[in-house]
Amino acid sequence: MTERLLSLVETLSDGPALAIGLTLGAFFAGNWVFARIGRPLWLPPVVLAAVLLSATIAVLPLDYTRYQLGAQWLTVLLGPATVALGIPLYQQMHHIRALWRPILCTLPVAATLAAVYAVVIAWALGATPEVLASLAPKSVTAPIAIGITEQLGGSVPLMMGGLLITGVVATLFVDLLAGLLPVEDERILGFALGLNGHAVGTARAFEISHTAGAFASLGMGLTGVFTALILPLVFHL
Amino acid sequence: MPMLRGFLILVLFFLFGEALRLLFLVPVSGGVLGMICMTLTLMMNGSVSEPLATASQGLISVLVLLIMPGVVGVFFTADQFQGQWLAVAMALLAGTFLSVLTTLVLMKWLVRGSGRGPAND
Repeated sequence: MTERLLSLVETLSDGPALAIGLTLGAFFAGNWVFARIGRPLWLPPVVLAAVLLSATIAVLPLDYTRYQLGAQWLTVLLGPATVALGIPLYQQMHHIRALWRPILCTLPVAATLAAVYAVVIAWALGATPEVLASLAPKSVTAPIAIGITEQLGGSVPLMMGGLLITGVVATLFVDLLAGLLPVEDERILGFALGLNGHAVGTARAFEISHTAGAFASLGMGLTGVFTALILPLVFHL
Repeated sequence: MPMLRGFLILVLFFLFGEALRLLFLVPVSGGVLGMICMTLTLMMNGSVSEPLATASQGLISVLVLLIMPGVVGVFFTADQFQGQWLAVAMALLAGTFLSVLTTLVLMKWLVRGSGRGPAND
């Protein structure tokens, strides 16, 4: 019976349904646990879901490469999802007009430094070129960052892990520094959340207010486009 | 049906972006090129259709789900980066702290500057 059970997973993992089912299941489980433990800022649902999913894959007789092969059916949607980010960008055009000068001055400096700080620190501590290329797009939203890392010759799994941690700590640092500096303007807080913490920061910004959320989407979108255009050019020099 | 129509538009823009990337050898992903074309098209049109808005909201709200297969990989490729973890952790923590600080200070200073301009004079 155990043997048959093992070969069952083997057979089921031939198609994409098992991988998709596991991913969806972990996604909802992560959200459920998150609500259950009182929505802590430092442990967002995506981290919970990723840990749950990894544990499940490790326990099942299913190796990661097989899982990833099946889950590609989901990953394919990242392309159209990136295009979809153009819609909120358009919808928030009136926000850009109101604050276009500070945004236009801050964006190139802050988005460049977000990559430069990380790469310089990692380089000083002896990281390999592959690791540097995986860390460079750490403040860029995932669908765009995947393209960047692939072009720079980095590791996509490492980049994704770094991306997630960046999103979480950016959220914590914005909260901390908003009190210390102090910054009360929701537009500035939102913009900083989206620029540094991409989707995770944007989710947090929508909890602060709708304005903060709009500015976070804007910061996330602009940082994505700017970094995607600049980083591959700079890295090849 | 309307949502699928919106999805078709997104896929078409993505394919168009990919075509641009391959034809002109642009070092930017097809998704980003598609997104730029999408924003420019909407700015010319002046409005977003209902199906397109629904489809994009749907996809953006499951972005986290779509990145999960990739995120999970970090747990299974960890051995590959032995001896690099201090560098990675410091880069992510200190680097993000510095970039958040930079963004907040710069924005605060610039917004105050522009606020005092035409508004108060």
